[in-house]
Amino acid sequence: MTRYLLTRLAQGVAVVLGAVAISFLLVNAVGNPVDALGTGAQLTERAHRELIHQYGYDQPLPARFADYLSRLLRGDFGTSFRSEDSALALVLRALPNTFLLILVSVVLAWLIAAPVAIRSVLKRDSRSDRVVRNGLVVIQGVPDFWLALLLVIVFAVTLGWLPAIADGSPSAIVLPMCAIALPLVSTFVRMLRSQLLEVMTSDFVIAMSVRGLSMRKIVLRHVLPNALPPIVTFMALQLGWLLGGTLIVETVFGWPGIGDLAVTATTQTDLPVVEAAIVLTAAAYVLCNLLADLLVVALDPRIRVAGR
Amino acid sequence: MSVTSIRLPGRARGALSARRRRWPTSLVVGVAIVVAAAVLALLGPLLLPDPNHQDLLTAALPPLSAGHPLGTDALGRDVLAWIASSIRISALVAVSVVTVAALVGVAVGLLAGYVGGAFDALLMRLVDLQLAIPPLLLFICAASVVGRSLLVIIVLLAIPSWVPYARVVRTRVLVERERASVAAARLAGASHLGVLVRELLPATRSLVIVLASLQLGWILLWETALSFVGIGVHPPSTSFGYMIAQGRDALAQQWWVVAFPGLVLALLVLASNLIGDGLGEQLDVEVEVTDA
Repeated sequence: MTRYLLTRLAQGVAVVLGAVAISFLLVNAVGNPVDALGTGAQLTERAHRELIHQYGYDQPLPARFADYLSRLLRGDFGTSFRSEDSALALVLRALPNTFLLILVSVVLAWLIAAPVAIRSVLKRDSRSDRVVRNGLVVIQGVPDFWLALLLVIVFAVTLGWLPAIADGSPSAIVLPMCAIALPLVSTFVRMLRSQLLEVMTSDFVIAMSVRGLSMRKIVLRHVLPNALPPIVTFMALQLGWLLGGTLIVETVFGWPGIGDLAVTATTQTDLPVVEAAIVLTAAAYVLCNLLADLLVVALDPRIRVAGR
Repeated sequence: MSVTSIRLPGRARGALSARRRRWPTSLVVGVAIVVAAAVLALLGPLLLPDPNHQDLLTAALPPLSAGHPLGTDALGRDVLAWIASSIRISALVAVSVVTVAALVGVAVGLLAGYVGGAFDALLMRLVDLQLAIPPLLLFICAASVVGRSLLVIIVLLAIPSWVPYARVVRTRVLVERERASVAAARLAGASHLGVLVRELLPATRSLVIVLASLQLGWILLWETALSFVGIGVHPPSTSFGYMIAQGRDALAQQWWVVAFPGLVLALLVLASNLIGDGLGEQLDVEVEVTDA
């Protein structure tokens, strides 16, 4: 068990290092941003050279990477080019907002998806099951940022029930949450359904139904708990994918998360913030996956016995 | 896009093609949508106004106006013409990205599965990395540095897109290389390259076809999302995302500028999913993919 977790930890560190390398290459591959400012009345030749020296762009690439790494290890992600805040603080302020949004959206999506999937398994291949599943295929293709705008038209503009932008009120989370959750429902149902069907082929299910337990009871009490561990792993692995949709929806609502931050930083060429966003998102992903590993061990006693 | 589960053909390879004569409904509907979109995209330049033509005299016309069946935006650009032109560019981007991704991914997957060892381990770490950095975050951040021409966008989108091919092909090759036919080919004097191309590559065909048709939809969504946040395809090139973003400013007055491009986009993504599912059924493989 310890050895398994240590391996996973080492893999996690490798992933974060990879993210560090990618963010470094991304920012340094195209020359230095000081040149892009140009020289002239606003920026003298001398100030230009000083800026290049100040940001270390006169050093060779490997030396800069080493410097970048050692800075990161000390928790120094640099200062935003646009404000006086440290890039680390900006990202750390945005990350919890993004995770909150993902969390409520995922919970909402599961609240809808779980009953649908269980019903679909119980009434497998019935007419209503087919209708629901076809409906889910249609929902899956709906672009979330477009859905977000449609929700704004209906609930914010026409009905005036909910705020269209994140104004700090608690109700501001409702529309972004719905826009992210609805497309997720389709994926979650398909996933849980196929997991449930797989567990249903186990011998214990046949044994139970022979002993006269109702199918409903078997699925809810015995099949569902067995289908959960792979789903926890899946959810953690797909966190990056969950984040993807959230990023764009955030920009629609001005939700102060990592997506909004990254888009703003990008349009302003705020490179330290760009770097910090990539590295810290990858680190958060690794952390969540380690937690999911522990959760799976807690959910599935067989793994503990096997001493993986 | 990442693969969450794969089901491989259960029976011998040759028996697959003749098994079902009728096309599954999902495939028929999907192909019908694609054909309709293609007709619109190809006839657009002949019948519709220039999508970039602005005319404030005919600005903000509602749908079903004379000469503008889907209305015009706040600058008088024809929404239908914009959609037709966006289909062309989106299709160009999606097909290019999927082609590049499939070629690279299949080659890497074949090698990783066949050679194994350090190369394989390196590949799996790359897969971890691809999962850890949300592609959209990478695109957004990269766009700040490398600009945003059509070619740059295609290259950017291709960077994480080859990974799912490498994963499914690798898994398939790990199974296939243990077959007696592979050992027989080697004994008969076939080179490693010969085994890869003639024995292992054909076995991955249906998986790659299904994955590619599903991936087209995701690439469409990515391309549009980038253009929506203002760092993707931009005028004079047209994109659904750009028009949706433009329409956002006048959401209350001109809902059609947002609604119609999004609807067509949703239909195209739906078509990609339907064709992927239908082909999977036809070829008897199942590739469950998720991403955004």
